[in-house]
Amino acid sequence: MARIELDGVSLTFRVRQDSKGLTWKDWVLGLVRRRARPRIEIRALQDVSLEVSRGERVGIVGHNGAGKSTLLKVLAGIYPPTAGRRVVEGRISSLFDIALGFESEASGWENIKFRSYLQGETPGRVRRKIQAIAEFSELGEFLNMPVRYYSAGMLVRLAFSIATAIEPEVLLVDEVLSAGDLNFQHKARARMQEMMAKAHLFVMVSHDLDSLQKLCDRLVWMDHGRVRRTGPSAEIIAAYRESARPAPLAA
Amino acid sequence: MGAYCTAIWRCRYFWLALVRMDLRARYRGSVLGMGWSLLQPIAMTAIICLVFCRLFHLPVAEMAAYVMVGLACWNYILTAMLAGCQCFFQGESYIRQFPAPMAIYPLRTVLGAAFHLFLALGVGFGLALMAGGARNWNPQALLTLPATFLLLLLAGWSLATLAGLATVFFRDTRHLAEVGFQVVFYLTPIFYPKDLLASHGLTWIVDWNPLVPFLELARQPIGAMTGDVAAAVPGLDVFARAALVTLLLASGAMFALTRLEKRLIFHL
Repeated sequence: MARIELDGVSLTFRVRQDSKGLTWKDWVLGLVRRRARPRIEIRALQDVSLEVSRGERVGIVGHNGAGKSTLLKVLAGIYPPTAGRRVVEGRISSLFDIALGFESEASGWENIKFRSYLQGETPGRVRRKIQAIAEFSELGEFLNMPVRYYSAGMLVRLAFSIATAIEPEVLLVDEVLSAGDLNFQHKARARMQEMMAKAHLFVMVSHDLDSLQKLCDRLVWMDHGRVRRTGPSAEIIAAYRESARPAPLAA
Repeated sequence: MGAYCTAIWRCRYFWLALVRMDLRARYRGSVLGMGWSLLQPIAMTAIICLVFCRLFHLPVAEMAAYVMVGLACWNYILTAMLAGCQCFFQGESYIRQFPAPMAIYPLRTVLGAAFHLFLALGVGFGLALMAGGARNWNPQALLTLPATFLLLLLAGWSLATLAGLATVFFRDTRHLAEVGFQVVFYLTPIFYPKDLLASHGLTWIVDWNPLVPFLELARQPIGAMTGDVAAAVPGLDVFARAALVTLLLASGAMFALTRLEKRLIFHL
């Protein structure tokens, strides 16, 4: 039974003030004085509660840095919440940062295999669908080459083809609809819809409000790490658009 | 603990594929291929034998097997430590996408190193047979090797885990380890006979060196020993000492992982 429940979840990142890293001096000072180098606290999520049950399609909107992607990563179990409770039931499949995590020296075929394994597939299942993945990516002969030689667009196509060749229970998606060229985008959109129809529930982050309205029943509007509003898609999109409109200049 | 092991087992296809790819990528386009991993210990063995056998009047064939096996084990431990330092950075892009158990990343490093250990030990065994002939063929003793391998694997995995975690929180670990291991290399009977230290009143170095029991376990069953000794089953005390070192490393690694695993991603 697929289900997501966040109860009062907060997540705070602690970042060092400069990016120079720890020097010998700082380290020794840190041993003597506790706060030789204060850290900045970034409250990425604050007291977020969210419930998604089977059959629901939920979208997340908000400006850049509002905590949308962080929220998705907490759902996926990648970031542990600093406070609060996270319950996710069902096999999770996530589509974010999909263009990362390729072995650049390995061929396209090899990358298809091990990325499928990472998504929890077995060699038998991979063998059965590897051709379909290759066909969907339209990379043909290029699959024999190390992915080091791929263009950014080719890499995204391969990543998308692998990532969407699964039958997920809980599907978490972050801005992947812009994969590849225009032709591929149409295909990708169709594939996404197919996948979403199969998933027991899904949560999606996007800036593309039209897609969100089409694909989601319910939206969560994130603002500075907090849930500003939740409700039916049309209602939230209208309110979100309203807030994003620049204030008219006074004459 | 059980659940954690199950999780590691469940993603076995993934880390096994990574190990395979690491090995393939390392030798892709190289003429000598796997031979390269053997050339280094073989060349070292040759030069050490050339110098030391003259210096200390030792039999060359015997010494060659001794040094080769010593170097094989040493290279394995060194790789577990130094490559282990990078293991979580190497796997960062996977860590950021999938919540797999962190222990699979040091495991990837160690399995690659274990493969090379296996090859080099094979050469060492061949040298020992050449040096001692039938005297060094002891099937009963050879049966202890799987257990030795298991201990080495577990010890290496733990070491790589500790090294990886330490590096994430303190970036200088690798450089410190490089210096430290350079020192340990000379304090370990890898390229000189163990008895050489004893005859100079330095027995304590051998007694307290945690690597020595592992070297003994690898050398004794195949007769890669100095001093005209035949292949034999290693004593229980040697096994006990190696097991103790492994246990200490493994508990340290497990303790560190349970404390730090969740926080790791914030420090990458």
